Amino acid sequence: MISIRNVSKWYGSFQVLAECSTEVAKGEVVVVCGPSGSGKSTLIKCVNALEPFQKGEITVDGISVGDPKTNLPKLRSRVGMVFQHFELFPHMSVMQNLTLGQVKVLGRSQDEAMQKGLKLLERVGLAAHKDKFPAQLSGGQQQRVAIARALSMDPIAMLFDEPTSALDPEMINEVLDVMVELAREGMTMMVVTHEMGFARKVARRVIFMDGGRIVEDARKEEFFGTPRSERAQLFLSKILQH
Amino acid sequence: MFAGYDFDVIQRSLPYLFRDGMTFTVTLTLIAMSGGIVFGTLLAMMRLSSFTPLSMLASAYVNLMRSVPLLLVIFWFFFLVPYIGAWVIGGKEPIRVGAFASAAITFTMFEAAYYCEIMRAGIQSISRGQVWSGYALGLNYWQTMGHVVLPQAFRNMVPVLLTQTIILFQDTSLVYVISATDFLGAASKIANRDYRLVEMYTFVAVVYFVISYTLSQLVRRLQDRIAVVR
Repeated sequence: MISIRNVSKWYGSFQVLAECSTEVAKGEVVVVCGPSGSGKSTLIKCVNALEPFQKGEITVDGISVGDPKTNLPKLRSRVGMVFQHFELFPHMSVMQNLTLGQVKVLGRSQDEAMQKGLKLLERVGLAAHKDKFPAQLSGGQQQRVAIARALSMDPIAMLFDEPTSALDPEMINEVLDVMVELAREGMTMMVVTHEMGFARKVARRVIFMDGGRIVEDARKEEFFGTPRSERAQLFLSKILQH
Repeated sequence: MFAGYDFDVIQRSLPYLFRDGMTFTVTLTLIAMSGGIVFGTLLAMMRLSSFTPLSMLASAYVNLMRSVPLLLVIFWFFFLVPYIGAWVIGGKEPIRVGAFASAAITFTMFEAAYYCEIMRAGIQSISRGQVWSGYALGLNYWQTMGHVVLPQAFRNMVPVLLTQTIILFQDTSLVYVISATDFLGAASKIANRDYRLVEMYTFVAVVYFVISYTLSQLVRRLQDRIAVVR
C-alpha cells in the first residue's frame, strides 16, 4: 500500500532523512518510533507530500508521491492524516470540520456529508458535541474529532503523527482506544508514537529511527524481544522502564 | 469671544456638506476599502508565494507605494491615468477620467499596499499545521486559503484592517488637491465663498473627530467579540 524506497531529504546542507526504505502492506499497522529529531515525523509527512524529499521514491497505492505530475490533492484525499496538535479548524464547528473535505473535495452533498459525519462522531463517542467549536472540547476529544475528520474521507490508509504526545495523560487512552479499534477493523496505518503499549497491542511491525536513518525494521515480537541495534535497546530501556 | 463669528453658516450649508461632500467621502472610503482589501489580499498571497518573481513583484509594488507620499500619488495618478488609459485602448487623446474615478483608483491602489502588509501578517499568524491539515484533507491551495487560512487571518486582522480604514477615511480629504468635492472640499468652498473659514474648518474637524473616534471605539468592542478562541 505504502512503499518507501531510498528516501533522502535535506534542509539546506543538513540531512534529515538518509536512505529510508520500508513498506506498509494493506491492512498492516506499522509503528514508527525513535528519539526526537530522528526524522520520524518528517518521514511520515513525506508520505502524503506535506514535506518534499529530494531523493528516492514513495508510492501510495501505486501512485508516486514525488512525481510532479501526480495530482497531490487527490492523493492526499485518499490518505487520512492525524496531527500531534489536532489541527482542527478553530473557526468551524465540529460538524463543519467533518463536512468540509467531503463536500469540497469528494463532492458529496451537504446532507450526505452530515450523515457520514454524524455516524463517525457516534463512533468516536462525540455525537453530542457536533455543534461545538474545537476550543470547547478537551484535547482528547479534539483528537478523536480529528480522527473522525480523517475517516470522513474514506481513506485507504491512515497516517498518525504523534497523535497522543500533546495530550494530558488521562486523555491518552480514549484516543488510543479509537486507534486500536480502527486497527482491528483492518485499516492500513502508519503511526509515529512513543506509546509502546499500543505497538504491542496492534502493530505488526515496529520501525526504529535514529539520526534520519531507519535503524531497525522488525516484526513486533522481534523488536520487543531482542532488538538487534544497541541504539534501539537503549531507547526501549528508557521508555519502557515505567 | 464668538461675537465676530457666524456659526449659522454651518446650518445653512448642511445639506450641501453632507449630501454632496460626505457622500463623496464615504463612497470613496468604501470603494477604496473593498478594492484595497481584495487587491491587498492578492498582493499578500503573492508576497508569500514561493515563486520568487511573483513575490518580488509584489514587494516592489508595496515598497514603492509605501515610500511615496499619498498626496503625490493622488496628483500623479490624476494627471497620468488619462494618458495610460489612452495608451491601453490605443486612443490618440488622453481619456477623460473624472476626479472621483481617479481618486477611487488611486486610493484602492495605495491602500492595497497597506492592507497587503496587514494581511501578510495575518496569513503568517496562521500556523503551518493548519495549512497541512487543509492539504491533508485533499484541499488544493486555493481551497485551503479560502476555507482555512484566510477566514482565520481575517478574524485576527479585522481590528487592524478597520483601523487602517479609519485612517483611509481621514486621508480621503487629500483629494482637495484634485479639486474634488469631498466633505472637506465642500466645506472649503463654502468657507471661501462666505468667508467663514474658522467656522467651517472647525466644524469639519469636529465631524471628522466624532466619526473617527466613534468608529475606533466600535472597533475596540468588535475586537473582543470576534477573536477566534483557540
